[in-house]
Amino acid sequence: MAEEQKSNLFKIALNLILTCLVSGCIIGCVFFITGPIASVKAEQMKQESMKSLVPDADKFDPVSGEKDTFVAEKGGKKIAYVIPSEPKGYGGPIKMLVAVTADGKVMDFTILEANETPGLGDNASKPPFRGQFKEKKLENLEVTKDKNDTKHIQAMTGATISSRAVTLGVKQAVEKAAQMGGN
Amino acid sequence: MNLWHIFTRGIIEENPYFILALSLCPGLAVTTSVLNGLTMGLTVWFVITSNNVVVSIIRKTINKKVRVPVYITCIATIVTCVQLFLQAFAPDLYKALGVYLDLVVVFAIILARAESVASKNGVVVSFLDGMGMGIGFTIAMVTISVVRELFGNGTLFGAAIFGPSYQPALILALPPGAFMLIGFMMAGLKMAIKAHEDKKLKGSEG
Repeated sequence: MAEEQKSNLFKIALNLILTCLVSGCIIGCVFFITGPIASVKAEQMKQESMKSLVPDADKFDPVSGEKDTFVAEKGGKKIAYVIPSEPKGYGGPIKMLVAVTADGKVMDFTILEANETPGLGDNASKPPFRGQFKEKKLENLEVTKDKNDTKHIQAMTGATISSRAVTLGVKQAVEKAAQMGGN
Repeated sequence: MNLWHIFTRGIIEENPYFILALSLCPGLAVTTSVLNGLTMGLTVWFVITSNNVVVSIIRKTINKKVRVPVYITCIATIVTCVQLFLQAFAPDLYKALGVYLDLVVVFAIILARAESVASKNGVVVSFLDGMGMGIGFTIAMVTISVVRELFGNGTLFGAAIFGPSYQPALILALPPGAFMLIGFMMAGLKMAIKAHEDKKLKGSEG
């Protein structure tokens, strides 16, 4: 009886060890193939999203000491900064990239990762809301609910928190650009 | 056993989503656009079929006491592989599905099929069952997401259908609306099945 139990226990352990071993090997092999492709794709997407933010730029130089921050150049002249920002939204952090011109105006932004409500806060990266930011200066980056107030940023219907978060993210990026421009 | 019936039962009669009502969470979360719903459906289709096959192959070597951890490990391995592939070849979809892709590991429907079919039957039966269930699940995902994207957002596959003057019914884009929609769809399908059976009954009597 005791003998049998012992062998049973041994069998159970062996079962689990083998399963995990095989599963680990399979995942390892798959990652070996897809890993490099995935990192190339991720880099490509990053370049593309920066390119779409500052279409005029022909070169993006990383800023030393600042993570994921780039200076967009055109013909050797500095035209914009691309600055990462991570405000807290309705469904967690919103990871975004903001393009700010050399003289401190917003050019555009893009949302890399977010968990906002689909159909509401999710729309932050679409034209009606996103388009408002173009050419805005630091002092105009406030959310308003007044439909006639075109100087500031109009909140998205049903998504005030997301609107505020995105606006704050842009604002922080503009502040940072101003600091860097001063150096 | 009738192999054709094993394959088709998952599509309507025992549809995993509308009739068995297993794994409802992805229907609320990812079906806001047809593309997301379709990807989720295909992912589950692939995972459930391959997991059924693997489980039916190893079913005799697995000790009964640890079968559930072993099944879960199998499912997790397959799901991780799918994730790695999506990340490499379709990063946009990977991002859109987000955490729900990880959650496929614990979808009740996959473990339920492994336990009730694959652990008791051979490879062929398990494979067909997985295919049928997967198709049923994919159809459910696509039907829900077509309605939600069309009326909740006014688009299909991202292309505007109703024109700019259409005011989207926001409730459908949100999880509570999806829940109501699923309820109506379930009721409708059950009514249709019942009507079909009644007709059959009458036909055999007459």
